[in-house]
Amino acid sequence: MPATAPARNLLTQTLAFGRMLRAAGVATTTSEVMDAVRALESIDLLDRDEVYLGLRTVLVTRKEEIPIFDRLFESFWKYRADEGQGLDGLIQNIEPPKPGDDTIHGSVESHAKKETQVALEGWEEQGEDAGEPLEVPGVSAQEVLMDQDFSTFPTEHLDEVARVTVLIAKRLARRLSRRRRPVRRGGVVDLRRSIRANLLKGEMIELRRRERRRRKIRLVLIADVSGSMDLYSRFLLLFLYALQNVFGRVETFTFATRLTRITEHLKGTTYKEALRQLAAVRDWSGGTRIGESLHEFNRSWGHLVDRRTIVIILSDGWDTGEPEELEHEMLVIKRKAGRMIWLNPLLGNPSYEPLTRGMAAALPLVDHFAAAHNLSSLRDLAGHLKLG
Amino acid sequence: MREEIKKIRDLMESAEYVTDPAMATSVHLAMTLRKPLLIEGHAGVGKTEVAKVMSRMLGTRLIRLQCYEGLDAAQALYEWNYPKQILHIKLQEHSETSTPDKEHEIFSEPFLIRRPLLQAITPNGAPPVLLIDEIDRADEEFEAFLLEVLSDFQVTIPEIGTVKATEPPYVILTSNRNRELSDALRRRCLYLWVDYPGFDKEVRIVTRKVAGVNERLARQISRFMETLRTVRLAKLPGVAETLDWAQALSSLHADHLDEELVLETLGCVLKDPDDIKRVRKELAASGMKRFVAAEG
Repeated sequence: MPATAPARNLLTQTLAFGRMLRAAGVATTTSEVMDAVRALESIDLLDRDEVYLGLRTVLVTRKEEIPIFDRLFESFWKYRADEGQGLDGLIQNIEPPKPGDDTIHGSVESHAKKETQVALEGWEEQGEDAGEPLEVPGVSAQEVLMDQDFSTFPTEHLDEVARVTVLIAKRLARRLSRRRRPVRRGGVVDLRRSIRANLLKGEMIELRRRERRRRKIRLVLIADVSGSMDLYSRFLLLFLYALQNVFGRVETFTFATRLTRITEHLKGTTYKEALRQLAAVRDWSGGTRIGESLHEFNRSWGHLVDRRTIVIILSDGWDTGEPEELEHEMLVIKRKAGRMIWLNPLLGNPSYEPLTRGMAAALPLVDHFAAAHNLSSLRDLAGHLKLG
Repeated sequence: MREEIKKIRDLMESAEYVTDPAMATSVHLAMTLRKPLLIEGHAGVGKTEVAKVMSRMLGTRLIRLQCYEGLDAAQALYEWNYPKQILHIKLQEHSETSTPDKEHEIFSEPFLIRRPLLQAITPNGAPPVLLIDEIDRADEEFEAFLLEVLSDFQVTIPEIGTVKATEPPYVILTSNRNRELSDALRRRCLYLWVDYPGFDKEVRIVTRKVAGVNERLARQISRFMETLRTVRLAKLPGVAETLDWAQALSSLHADHLDEELVLETLGCVLKDPDDIKRVRKELAASGMKRFVAAEG
């Protein structure tokens, strides 16, 4: 066999494997695939474990991708019964599973969807933002909308309300951004510029300062999508989604009986698309397991929370699990987070009292407790999205 | 198994580092592909050790950059020696030297303080191992800056010019996952996830590293730790805690675990009052059996 033939085969097969990984949601780049080929050249191709470990260290970039990688590796480099047959032999006869094959999740389809980015820009133009925002960023003609509970709007008006929500958020975003102006005093002395400025004087007369760099605040939203909470979660999501550029990062999770991370679904989609995605993750099995969902969050996603993170939980606190568990998990978050906000839309009802056991367990640990049941409460919420 | 990988494993083992094939393969490829290796895992599983062992294996210098919030280029790359510059200006106050000359003088090599990244790019001799420790503690801005340095190992100092590494250093990054790292950085690196060791590996670590621990005790300790990590705790203990504990038990001349001993020394393993309370409660309820069942 000419020496180049297996090498080329290795290349094309590795490329095919890379494509499969991409289709399954592991965003492998071409240069990584080239590295994978180089890696294969410097390991023992007859040692299946070594091939596995070598490809894994090159192509996988985070722990969460390992299970997907394992599954695809298994199905791609199928182990032919004949022992002792090297990888060169193996790989020639293997067809990559077709996309749409049961073993592959994610799929090409969702990629195509991502291409169609229209994003939220459309809303801004329609907003006819005449100069400076008013004292109240709500438009007066729409003032009536502001205090009406989301659940009382007739279905055909919800689109309009959604539009106004985004509009308000956009204006607030502009204002929040402006608040982070550089400060003249304080900050740290910029010695480099000070030395230059005082080069001839031999004394440090004039100190130059520069702004102390601060990391943007991050948001983690954990929204209850069970039963009556679903609608409120949508509006909150819409609102925060439109505010996202103000923050360093917005991570979004939904839960009813189990936790789902939807951050990736929301990237680069229009808000309508995002809402549709939300509907898809909704689970109808009934009952809410907040404590368990928060436990799952802490276990798998706890690293997203730090001192510069605000954690927002939206739920009515109606937990079918043990309140001790909820309390424990809340405490774990509380210790790491900069701020913890609990939104309970039922609070908008004057006769409501937070009497559920879950709510009672969670309340003492919460920094801010509010309603988020109508537009004005969302607007007020923006004022609480800061630290210290 | 490839000869080189076996050699790495033997070298790591002889450096008192208990390793596994995954780690040896990653280290081997990091050295042959000359790509940075990103090691993630819980605190106390021995991520930093990999860099130390690697530098010992290669016989080169280890340069360490410890990351923290607010770390910036001045601390990581280079800084001018301001006190020295000021003194120099002061001494030259009455000299005839022109301002541009003065400026040229104080912004030259002798006034430059080389921080770890610059040291790694311009070594004296063989390329060193650069350990960028706990990158998840640094800000996103620093991460972006680091990405630039790691992509071409070249930096520009406005006053001096561009400095480029003749041969790039070996780079190890570690992260405790306190913050999600950018995809760009991840894609630049090889990746290794270090989990808590399995039972057998932990037994080997304990017997290798702590003198005066017999096989039975080592097995009990490892079994206890294995069970403990399945309990819902705020802070799971790592290998570092296992070793502390084994050390403590060894200095108490213990040859096996019993409930009293565990209760007395629990502080070596758990560092959170709520966790200690929880485990005490479990011990009181179901006894040692629950924790070291398989070891009797």
